[in-house]
Amino acid sequence: MAHSTITPLAQEERETLRSFIADQLGRGNLDLPLLPVVANRVLLLSSDPDADASQLSSLIQQDQALAGQILRIANSPAYAPRTPIVSLQQAITWLGLTMLAGLAFSVSVQSGVFHTTGYEKEVRNLWRHALATGLFGKEIARRIRHNVENAFLCGLLHTIGKPAILHLLSQTPDKSAEPFSWITVESLFEEFHVMAGSKLAAVWQLPDPVQETIRYYQDDQYHQAISPTKGAMITCLAHHLASVILGDSTHDENSLLTLPVVQDLNFYPEDMTALLELRETVKASVECFLP
Amino acid sequence: MTSPTPFDLIVIGSGPAGQKAAIQGAKAGKRVALIEQTREVGGACVYQGTIPSKTLRESALQMVRFLQATEVFEFRMRDDVKITNLMTRLDRVVRAHGKFMKDQLTRNGIDCFHGRAGFVSDQEVRIQKIDGTSALVTAPIIIVATGSRPRVPDNIPIDHEHILDSDSILSLVYLPKSLTVLGGGVIASEYASIFALLGVQVTMVDTADRPLKFLDQELTDEFCEAFEKTGGHYRGGQKIDTVQWDGCSKVTTVLESGETLESEKVLVALGRVSNLEHLNLKATGIHPTTRGLIPVNNHCQTTVPHIYAVGDVIGPPSLASCSMEQGRRAVCHALGLNSGVAPEHIPMGIYTIPEMSSVGLSEQEATAKYGGATVGRARFHEIARGQISGMTNGLLKMVADPKGEQLLGIHIVGEGATELIHIGQMGLLHNMLIDRFIDNIFNFPTLAEAYRVAALDIAKQRQH
Ligand SMILES: Cc1cc2nc3c(=O)[nH]c(=O)nc-3n(C[C@H](O)[C@H](O)[C@H](O)COP(=O)(O)OP(=O)(O)OC[C@H]3O[C@@H](n4cnc5c(N)ncnc54)[C@H](O)[C@@H]3O)c2cc1C
Repeated sequence: MAHSTITPLAQEERETLRSFIADQLGRGNLDLPLLPVVANRVLLLSSDPDADASQLSSLIQQDQALAGQILRIANSPAYAPRTPIVSLQQAITWLGLTMLAGLAFSVSVQSGVFHTTGYEKEVRNLWRHALATGLFGKEIARRIRHNVENAFLCGLLHTIGKPAILHLLSQTPDKSAEPFSWITVESLFEEFHVMAGSKLAAVWQLPDPVQETIRYYQDDQYHQAISPTKGAMITCLAHHLASVILGDSTHDENSLLTLPVVQDLNFYPEDMTALLELRETVKASVECFLP
Repeated sequence: MTSPTPFDLIVIGSGPAGQKAAIQGAKAGKRVALIEQTREVGGACVYQGTIPSKTLRESALQMVRFLQATEVFEFRMRDDVKITNLMTRLDRVVRAHGKFMKDQLTRNGIDCFHGRAGFVSDQEVRIQKIDGTSALVTAPIIIVATGSRPRVPDNIPIDHEHILDSDSILSLVYLPKSLTVLGGGVIASEYASIFALLGVQVTMVDTADRPLKFLDQELTDEFCEAFEKTGGHYRGGQKIDTVQWDGCSKVTTVLESGETLESEKVLVALGRVSNLEHLNLKATGIHPTTRGLIPVNNHCQTTVPHIYAVGDVIGPPSLASCSMEQGRRAVCHALGLNSGVAPEHIPMGIYTIPEMSSVGLSEQEATAKYGGATVGRARFHEIARGQISGMTNGLLKMVADPKGEQLLGIHIVGEGATELIHIGQMGLLHNMLIDRFIDNIFNFPTLAEAYRVAALDIAKQRQH
């Protein structure tokens, strides 16, 4: 990821884009994409206690590309099936309903909701990070005996505002053929992704704890979250862990120990060691879902 | 490392036992250090035990009462009432209680340390802090009140997602359609009846032929009847072979008989283990029992006389009520203070639906001790208050000596049982005769009247 200093030209570009995004987000009629029907229904199904595997598999089957990706993931070495997985129903049994619902959602959102042309590699990294955050979120929740399914979904969607910003950027009136520099984009993420994510989450009617997490997952914010499921706090630490293992963090494993969220979750050094021991498992899962 | 900070008393653990021990020490003018490994004080009682389970129970009861009221008042409630709504209330109650306890400790001038305690020697304790640093404290008296946690049986892969224990059951965000509860003790029975009332299809599985075997059978019979009415099932005499999440939608519990039970979630409530693992007890010379408990004498003194152990860490009765008293008494003993008369008749309160409570001798115990027993019964539906409140079940059972004169025990099942029992407890403490319940006047209409009715039932048997 680029970390060079901003040139005067880039500064000017940033300012223009900044006021464009601020203007867009400030408007009531925000032009954000609709949630694809399949993704929307997958999400509803995954939080419906009456849902079962056959309902989910018939839903996924409606989207050929999605079904293909799911089968590829289920057959990948990280999930090491004993026998080849040939049906969706079998894949669901092997991967688990919640995991699969979350993935189906993210795969279907990635593959077409947002206009992110020119940033394919970066967007892929964003999703890898989101997935790693979801997976770490599950393990953190397990340790503190909070809801595991909820933590996964919160992690997976916490930075949904970032691709949404890229989507908005694709609508700038004077957009040149070249994509904007990633450093500029990142500074816009920094400033706007929470707001964009919150708006999108509201439009898409994502579950309340997910909406709250998107709004408050950052270090200086999670105290404001009130949901007893603690999605924001869990996701905050999961986000840091994901950044460290994927190599896009200013923190190293040792400095993680000093984060206020580690203290607020009451994680002792041995708890953090146990979480970090999962790094290879999480990486392998990320590799297999989003190589 | 700097030299240890001296105190008069160190208490390890801030649950009901540790808290009362620390307060007793402070009230006696001692400088007290209280060490707690979690951020909040209050222990399992506040965060995973008594308070959350009772709040959930109360919310469930209120919801059901409300649903019943909708018929009378002709309005409808939303169909999608979520367990998260019940849990939000729970979160509020727990927070308020935690704050109350913290304030109480601060008011008493107790030095609270956040960290994990481990013995360095029999008078010195290391506090491992969360940031990896540590501090040393020392005192001539040390109270261990580290409590307990759910036991994880080797053959059950608890994942806190599909196969839960009594801590993670509180993390549910929606009600499962079905729940298998493994165990037949207090925690298993309480949660089984709460979830059954909320409309979950609950099956309890245990080796014993009936749940809560230590209670009077008439009480557990009433409980089982009420449990079955809400759709629950009790499968007694069963051993568990394996429990497995199928990775998709259900958990399969295979019994040793070969039978399988399928449910969306499983709650494992098969006992508790003491929290000893961070204490480094070997530095003190104290040896835990084979069941992993700290052995103590009647004063809660361990084999090292200036180290006491109180609460769940020493084993049954594992009740918050008893733990508090043990904490207070241990400190009184250590400081040579008068702790008052030792509690004689400890009531047992079980917050199943319906509630059950018991104090004194059971019919069987009385028969064994006195060669017989006279038993009086009062059914709640025969009492005006019970009829007004629509109570269809509920029983107060009074146990007296063979002549039917001396009160020996009280056993109650039905709403309000855990409150009502204290009348009987006071009677026992004052060696009350059965006739005192007949000669005196109770408010009308109240459930307390059941005492009079049961006493009359005994008196009637006397005449024959
Ligand atoms: C679901 C459930 C329902 C219950 N319902 C009732 C009820 O209705 N009525 C009733 O009377 N009882 C009830 N109980 C039992 C009651 O909660 C316990 O008996 C009581 O909490 C025991 O108190 P304690 O102080 O011994 O331990 P705990 O409450 O377990 O507290 C021990 C504390 O010590 C801390 N600790 C452990 N190790 C260390 C260490 N090395 N260093 C520092 N701190 C440490 C722990 O973090 C904890 O905070 C229930 C329990 C459960 C699980």
